[in-house]
Amino acid sequence: MNQMSKLIKDIITLVIVSTILGVSAQVVLPNGIGLRTEITVVGDDSTGVAVASVSINPNGASEAATNISLQKAYSAYENGSAIFFDARSPEEFGSGHIKAAVNLPVHAFLDSLNYLENLDFNKHIITYCDGEDCNASIDLAADLKMMGFAQVNFFFGGWQEWRDAGYPVGSKP
Amino acid sequence: MRSTVENFLASKPGKLFVRIVQIGLGLLFIYASLDKIWNPGLFAKSISNYRLLPLPLLHISAIMLPWIELICGLALVTNRYQRAAYTIIGGMLIIFILAIASAMSRGLDFNCGCFSVDSEESNMGLMKVVQNVGLLFSCVLIEYRARVVHLKQAATLD
Repeated sequence: MNQMSKLIKDIITLVIVSTILGVSAQVVLPNGIGLRTEITVVGDDSTGVAVASVSINPNGASEAATNISLQKAYSAYENGSAIFFDARSPEEFGSGHIKAAVNLPVHAFLDSLNYLENLDFNKHIITYCDGEDCNASIDLAADLKMMGFAQVNFFFGGWQEWRDAGYPVGSKP
Repeated sequence: MRSTVENFLASKPGKLFVRIVQIGLGLLFIYASLDKIWNPGLFAKSISNYRLLPLPLLHISAIMLPWIELICGLALVTNRYQRAAYTIIGGMLIIFILAIASAMSRGLDFNCGCFSVDSEESNMGLMKVVQNVGLLFSCVLIEYRARVVHLKQAATLD
């Protein structure tokens, strides 16, 4: 019993020391973050989704990404003025996607940092996923905004709307 | 078989062996904490990938977890507060194993954020679970030896 209470006391001591050091370090560290997770709602009333504004880049844009219509997405595609990022899994991407889109699964965002850092941060980016049933495009758009990309839209109609409109598609991974 | 293991653990070579395991575990946790301490934002993102924690807890977890790893790692290496340290580490490993298994069962495939927030680290997979189970076994071994030694000392006093 005595040993157990000593163990609990020691565990509490270690956790308290770690917490004090961790919180204090945020003031000193160049990449320090705040205790509170900032949560922003991305999108308008119909598409709004709460996402955590994780401080990937402290200089990242603070304004949220916005939705883009099928017509505007298509004209950006025709002009070649935007990069399309498919936020779905590689399997879903392989079974069909917007032509020339790049697969960037939202869960693997950190795996893509090296690739993203070499892109033009002023380039227009459009993210999409399956369609109105998924929020991956919105999450990915928020991540890209936080990383510092200036012009980011999510195409909420997504793959389903694009395919149904008969616009150019690709099917290779 | 059991008494052979217990005799070994109570012997000098057994003591040395468990001490090496303890220092190795400590050094591994110190190493695992450094990149996350330096990049708490990326680590918060890594935690958010699991989609298990409520969003308001993301930052505080990303701040606390690596420092707990560092302090527990130092405790194991210096052999101070070591029982509390491997108990905390054992508890964290059980949570990591469950989180990785849960992510795998949901088909999520991303950098687990186990040892760093580097994109070069390997992604989710059974190997990650096996690694963590191995580390958990080290914690159990250290505790098991402590109990064996305690029981032997009690028997000698009787």
